[in-house]
Amino acid sequence: MISAENISFGYDSRNIIENLSFRFDAGDLVAIVGPNGVGKSTLFELMCGNFKPRRGVVTLDGRPVGAYSHKQLATKLAVVRQEFIPPFGFTVYETVMMARTQYFDSFGFETQKDMDITARYLDITQVSHLAARRLDQISGGERQRVFIARALAQETPIILLDEPTSFLDMKHQVGIYDLLKRMQVEDKKTIVTIIHDINLAGQYCDKVMLLGGGSNYLLGKPSEIFTKENIKRFYDVDSVTGRVGDIDIFMPVGVRARTRAEAVV
Amino acid sequence: MLLLAVTVVVCLFIGSKDISMANVYAGITGSDAGNADYTILFKIRLPRCILAAIVGASLAVSGAVLQALLRNPLADPYILGISSGAGLGAMLAAITGLQISVMGISTMGLFAFIGAIGTVWLVWWIGIMAGSRQLTSLLLAGVVVNSFFSAVIMFLTSVMDSSSLQTTMLWLMGNMRDSGSGDIVLSVICLAGAMAVLYRLSPQLNILSFGHDDAQTMGVNVAFVRLVSFATAAFITSVAVSLSGLIGFIGLIIPHAVRLLCGPDHRQLLPICGISGAIFLVVCDTFARTVIAPQQVPVGIITAITGGPFFLILLVKYSRKVSMGSK
Repeated sequence: MISAENISFGYDSRNIIENLSFRFDAGDLVAIVGPNGVGKSTLFELMCGNFKPRRGVVTLDGRPVGAYSHKQLATKLAVVRQEFIPPFGFTVYETVMMARTQYFDSFGFETQKDMDITARYLDITQVSHLAARRLDQISGGERQRVFIARALAQETPIILLDEPTSFLDMKHQVGIYDLLKRMQVEDKKTIVTIIHDINLAGQYCDKVMLLGGGSNYLLGKPSEIFTKENIKRFYDVDSVTGRVGDIDIFMPVGVRARTRAEAVV
Repeated sequence: MLLLAVTVVVCLFIGSKDISMANVYAGITGSDAGNADYTILFKIRLPRCILAAIVGASLAVSGAVLQALLRNPLADPYILGISSGAGLGAMLAAITGLQISVMGISTMGLFAFIGAIGTVWLVWWIGIMAGSRQLTSLLLAGVVVNSFFSAVIMFLTSVMDSSSLQTTMLWLMGNMRDSGSGDIVLSVICLAGAMAVLYRLSPQLNILSFGHDDAQTMGVNVAFVRLVSFATAAFITSVAVSLSGLIGFIGLIIPHAVRLLCGPDHRQLLPICGISGAIFLVVCDTFARTVIAPQQVPVGIITAITGGPFFLILLVKYSRKVSMGSK
């Protein structure tokens, strides 16, 4: 369980996040959405304890994030950030194994258990065949899977992801969210992810937090949050809506299409 | 380790004077204790070889650590101003002509050590003031302090008299001097301690290569690991510099060469760097004292001349599997 009570945070005198409260329960798959610059990534850093809120408190299982030691926190919460490739050629296997570092034996080497866990998550994320390849030699989609495998190998109840699919094609986007859904259902993980694509958020997530900057935000079920009016209000974009089953799909409509539509009318 | 021992032994017997095994043996057994071959081997060449091994190992290990911490493949042990700080220290020793000696360490070495440690501390402090999250500010502080002190060194060079100029220039080029056993014992202890500390931190260094934030969420106390490994690397570099002057290149190329051959995992990288750095410098120093014997070439020149092409060959040969810091 991860929750926040009236948190505020800003980089200068202005608070980019103001009086924000939420509660995500165990087994929730939550999407954080909103336009650029409204504090999605800031909220992300507040949740994983890298930033301290100016006011209010973020708690993990009832205890403030700041009260955990680094090691304790790493047993509660794993993070997938926007991808960074280190300048040294670590292999896929080495990268995923790093998640187990704090469980290594006293000589700093992995135990059989760590190897089993690493192998398991390489398998689940379908990157086993790449284990010996270097991170800079695989595709963006594969790399994102590797970083997800690394987060899973930490075996934490909570996983936070910052736009895990931003550079991926449709197939790989769906692949990643199918995987996250499976982790949520099978392992009862709490998953909180920043998403730009509200249609994917609507398909996969149980809860949506739509941020608009400052104290302006909405929290609820996708069907309640994703409405034409809210999208106009938060994104300042007109959209057309379609319905597939019980899921609403949104298409942004630009000036060009709009003027044409009006001409037809 | 075995390879290192073999190298040391082989290099012991290479020199401007041929040494006869029989005489050495006689020296060991005590039947002819004072003979020249025995003295040269054990009193001159052996300490010098050990010294070269210590300095080589220190520089290579510290280079590997700094490259990981700064996430910069161009980092080397001198990047945080150690070289100019030490240079300035040595220069002041030469100018003032002070003769202070602590535990058998020469005045110049002592001043260089103080200069090096002081500079690193200064750079670190500036880096912290500029924001501890930004590695760039630390790097910049290092570069600026380095060039500022270099300017001071240039100024001092231009006003210095020629005899002390000669000594300092030789020192700046990197030179294995003859040194007492006190130096050696002390620096072996320093190096062993530092290696133990760095080795314990090596899994954390792996994670730190992925950046501050990733490391933090994988349970690494980033501030602690950074401080301790920076301090340790700076310390062994300062020790090395005070023993031998500025020997360039080892700290840059040995870590890269080892990474090319054995991968970037610091648990392997650090020990192998230590051993190969030691071997490399012992070999280079043997060249340095034999190429134009009885004259000696500063070993820093040899490391650059032999190391450069060797490294380029490695780079080209393995470049299909390797990209040096794609991002």
